[in-house]
Amino acid sequence: MITTIASHQILALRRQRVFIALLGILLAMTALAGVLGWSSHRTIVGVYGEATRLLAAQGQPAPANPFTLKPTLALLSNMVIYIPLIGALLALVLGHLSIADDEAGGVGRLVFSRRVSRNTYLAGKVTGAAAVLAVILASSLVVSATSVWIVNRTVPTIAELGRLGLFYGLSWLYLLAFALIGMIAVLATRSKPIALLSAMGAWLVITFVIPQFTSGLRPTASLNPIIDPVSTSQTFFKVTSKARPFSVVEQYKTVSGRILETAPSEPMAQTIARTLPLALLAIVLIAIAAVLLSHHDFSRGAGDE
Amino acid sequence: MNATTTGPARTPAVELRQLSHRYDSQLVLRSVDLSIERGEIFGFLGHNGAGKTTAVNILTTLIEPTAGWASVCGFDVVTARSEVTQRIGYLPSDVRMYPHLTARENLEFFAALSGLVDVSTAVSETLDYLDCGPLADRRVGSFSTGMRQRIGIAQAIVHRPEVLFLDEPTSGLDPVGVRQLRETIQRLNRELGMTVFMNTHLLSEVAKVCTTIGVLNHGELIYKDTIEATTSRFPDEASLEDIYVKMEATSAGAAT
Repeated sequence: MITTIASHQILALRRQRVFIALLGILLAMTALAGVLGWSSHRTIVGVYGEATRLLAAQGQPAPANPFTLKPTLALLSNMVIYIPLIGALLALVLGHLSIADDEAGGVGRLVFSRRVSRNTYLAGKVTGAAAVLAVILASSLVVSATSVWIVNRTVPTIAELGRLGLFYGLSWLYLLAFALIGMIAVLATRSKPIALLSAMGAWLVITFVIPQFTSGLRPTASLNPIIDPVSTSQTFFKVTSKARPFSVVEQYKTVSGRILETAPSEPMAQTIARTLPLALLAIVLIAIAAVLLSHHDFSRGAGDE
Repeated sequence: MNATTTGPARTPAVELRQLSHRYDSQLVLRSVDLSIERGEIFGFLGHNGAGKTTAVNILTTLIEPTAGWASVCGFDVVTARSEVTQRIGYLPSDVRMYPHLTARENLEFFAALSGLVDVSTAVSETLDYLDCGPLADRRVGSFSTGMRQRIGIAQAIVHRPEVLFLDEPTSGLDPVGVRQLRETIQRLNRELGMTVFMNTHLLSEVAKVCTTIGVLNHGELIYKDTIEATTSRFPDEASLEDIYVKMEATSAGAAT
């Protein structure tokens, strides 16, 4: 029964234009991340070459090219920003549609007048969302690996592919949390527009507002994975920065930076510990969805919104 | 092809005992007692807000009653939900199904949810039975109300239920659609042996299709009998509509 609901959800999402459009944007941005990484690397190397020629003209020795030591996957560093921005929006829409479709068409009445329990329904919806996200991120992984191959003119090594797999695995968990937020918003409200706005409000808070407090109001913290902030003199932000381990977007970016080797290294145990709040959030969100679903009134008709 | 009669022997298809339901402070069903025998086509009549849909929502296990007891084919709708849902088919009013999916895809989903093993065969047989073959591979979102209603009936009977619940099934249909629906209901009852429980406002259709009627007024069952007994009890009234209006007026008079 769970697989029936999950596979039905996958089929229904394949026909949703909004979802397909967002998916297209995410995959295009994935490809763009490679292009941008290649472009910035080429510019920097060009500047280095120009400087080398100037130094040689002056009869001075040039230092060794430091950019050749740049990790191969570093050119995908923009993906760490695109996933919390576009990927999370896509996941919100996915979660929203998976429940809202049943509400809007009054179909929930048909589903629950059959041998479907609320827990089975939720398990099917979460499984469907998880499977769709896995397919999306696997596609993104292929695009990323292809970008790395084209830009570096060498096939990514097994280790690099492993790192890419880890990065997209972490992204899957991150996006699953947002898909659950999309579902919860529909279950908690009686109107589709309000549900979508509420979910987007939660996305804004998680992605932009909380990092401002937990990172001491550093303006770039909401976008870039910067560790060791300059300490703020304001007591309020000193206190709020203590909650930084629970700022999932910051932890996601830091761990992603570690995986793609764009962030400073740290002990492995610390990196693993950073993923725990994200896993905890996903579990809490599933519990909230289960409670809301158990009280949700699916007897309402299509025109009752 | 026939809906097999199961459940505790000699039990009514539908039974309500002192059934009440309350939404917040509003009591919408008031101690309703009702029994519908197997094989009947029952027309549940009443004004808007009388409590008809609430009764169907309870019988289809979508909501639990706040007091009293209800059963379908002898199984309690609260404690034996799984047994009940195996035996019922349900077509709510204004259902749109999944508009992006084809009729066949919609039906396959609901057939699978009903626990059918050979989903594909069951769907094809149902589409053929209801002459919906040409609609099978078209998306439901492009359907007229009448087409949607036919596919709605198909999803309700794809698993061959014993009791079919229809909530305002004629809503939005043109006269041809109403006639087709009436003929379909009669076929399902005659050929597949389904008991039909139908909420409706269309009294002319009730007179043509139903074997028994019940009248709900402000949550109270004020009348229940066969069509023949009803017409002979009110010999001065020309139509069921006149009878219904008289019942409502009598009930209102008694209340004041």
